[in-house]
Amino acid sequence: MAAEVSNAGVPPIASPTPGLPGVGAGSGSALAPVAAGKVRLAAVVVLLTLVLGVAVLVSVSLGAYRLAVREMLAALFRGRTLSPMQHAILFQVRLPRVLASALVGAALSVSGLMFQGLFRNPMADPYIIGASGGAAVGACIGIVFLAQWSLLGFSATALLAFAGAVLTMFVVYGLARTRGRSSGVTLLLAGFAVGMMLSNSTYLFEIFDPNPATGGRIVSAWLRGVVGVPEWRQLAVAAAMLAAALVVAYPLMRRLNTLALGDEYAERLGVRVELARVGIVLVGSLLTALAVSLGGLISFAGLIVPHVTRLWLGPDHVRLLPVTALAGAIFLVVTDTAARTLFAPMEVPVGVVMVFVGGPFFLYLLRKNKREYSL
Amino acid sequence: MPMLELRGVGFGYGARPVLADLSLRVECGEAAALIGPNGAGKTTLLRVLAGGLEPSEGQVLLEGEPLHTLPRKERARHVALVPQGFDVPFEFTVEQIVEQGRSPYLGLLRGMMREDRLAVDRALALTDASGLRHRIFNELSGGERQRVKIALGLAQEPKLLLLDEPTQNLDIGRQVELLDLLDHLRHEGLTVFASIHDLHLVQGNFSAVHLLSPGGALVSGRPEEVMTPRRLADAFHCPPGRHPLLMG
Repeated sequence: MAAEVSNAGVPPIASPTPGLPGVGAGSGSALAPVAAGKVRLAAVVVLLTLVLGVAVLVSVSLGAYRLAVREMLAALFRGRTLSPMQHAILFQVRLPRVLASALVGAALSVSGLMFQGLFRNPMADPYIIGASGGAAVGACIGIVFLAQWSLLGFSATALLAFAGAVLTMFVVYGLARTRGRSSGVTLLLAGFAVGMMLSNSTYLFEIFDPNPATGGRIVSAWLRGVVGVPEWRQLAVAAAMLAAALVVAYPLMRRLNTLALGDEYAERLGVRVELARVGIVLVGSLLTALAVSLGGLISFAGLIVPHVTRLWLGPDHVRLLPVTALAGAIFLVVTDTAARTLFAPMEVPVGVVMVFVGGPFFLYLLRKNKREYSL
Repeated sequence: MPMLELRGVGFGYGARPVLADLSLRVECGEAAALIGPNGAGKTTLLRVLAGGLEPSEGQVLLEGEPLHTLPRKERARHVALVPQGFDVPFEFTVEQIVEQGRSPYLGLLRGMMREDRLAVDRALALTDASGLRHRIFNELSGGERQRVKIALGLAQEPKLLLLDEPTQNLDIGRQVELLDLLDHLRHEGLTVFASIHDLHLVQGNFSAVHLLSPGGALVSGRPEEVMTPRRLADAFHCPPGRHPLLMG
């Protein structure tokens, strides 16, 4: 038997493999994954930046009072003066809100990208790992007990949401650690359990609110996600934090690519897995906290945007970082514009719009690509 | 000086001992096979040798130097382990996966340079996987995956290549292809140490063999010395004469 096997006439290893197409199956679809280098990353980034610019301009012009795009451009770049009312609408209402939604979208999407990469699981997002639940409890305390309080333009609600998200992540991480190490699965399960307890406890704030006239409604709106009109200094702080988080995230993205091979494999390749994991959890929950402090609990963006960019450009996290941030910003600018204009003067929580726009689109992508995600 | 030397190595998961008092040598440039029944600790031994697990006693020497005190990146430049199971989430291309083998050469601010790209190209060419470069790993066949896993190990540019059951789940044509590849790599100067499930494949393909029995007894030598029907029947707890290999 042994002789038969070793004598079988098999071509030497240097034999050429049959010619293979450069791009995998499914290249007919518009969003087929493209091999690294096929699409110039710079071109995609420039394109998305332009789209974001146009989306911001259009969004700012829309509303109960129409502002002509041409007049705004003239005011912004050629110093033309607007009427006091136009000026107030542009700089005190629309622009801050639109920029806030862009920041929220970018932050949520990048944190979703990081959590999905860390857990090697396309269903992971700030909700699953508990960061959003912690933020929700913090925000509820702020809304119900400290409504008048603020710091640096941030309300107590925003600050406590931020603190809640970060604190929860430390608790979850501590729970998932045994003998100085954590495993991805334990972290995911611990985060899920803690997050469920926290996010469900917000229900108590809704029904036991001491100011029945307003509080319960504010809590419930916040839990569905509403981008308010922030102050400029609040925006500046948030933008600076987002920029810092993206800079720190960059080297972590390469770690995420290596961690895709599994913890032990990454360790064998010289990666300090535990350190990388702490960094990813920390930056991811900071981004979540940043987003919820500006826009409340907006579901779905952190889940869906990284999916779409991954289907488009493949899973290399380094390439996905800038693209996902930009795509998330665009997605939220568009959905928030819809949220405040579709049924004007009524405003729909942006989280609700997001689910109705994003859900079907997401399902369409899943069906069209027919590439199952292997876990 | 041998490429790899184990001196009284022991290891256990928690309180359960798996390896006890193991001593063996793998000479530079040789292809050695590790055989033994299921559960004897072959995979565990390979994980210890790759530096992923720390031995509870004894010493592992790589070219005379204690393996487990080497800085982790340094170690990853010397030893690569091609694991048996290998799951990758998402749709990484073959190239993106093999590039991860360069991790031990990259720094916080040092990305992939020209020499890293060349090492990836070389690893893909050696394993005849250049044509798979832009394919999605999870869509490859078993034989193609095996070649890519080896390319990932080779991208580390190791001196010692450890393989955990590399012929598992391959058809006979792909098995022979793989053994030819290992032989080719040995001629390129690599030392190869592979656990082999299929005992037919040892003779003629490996110059040394280490038979590991449950409980940690180890017999080393040339295949024809080690793989006698008696020893195999003992180690594998197989009644004599009940398997073609045990006919003597």
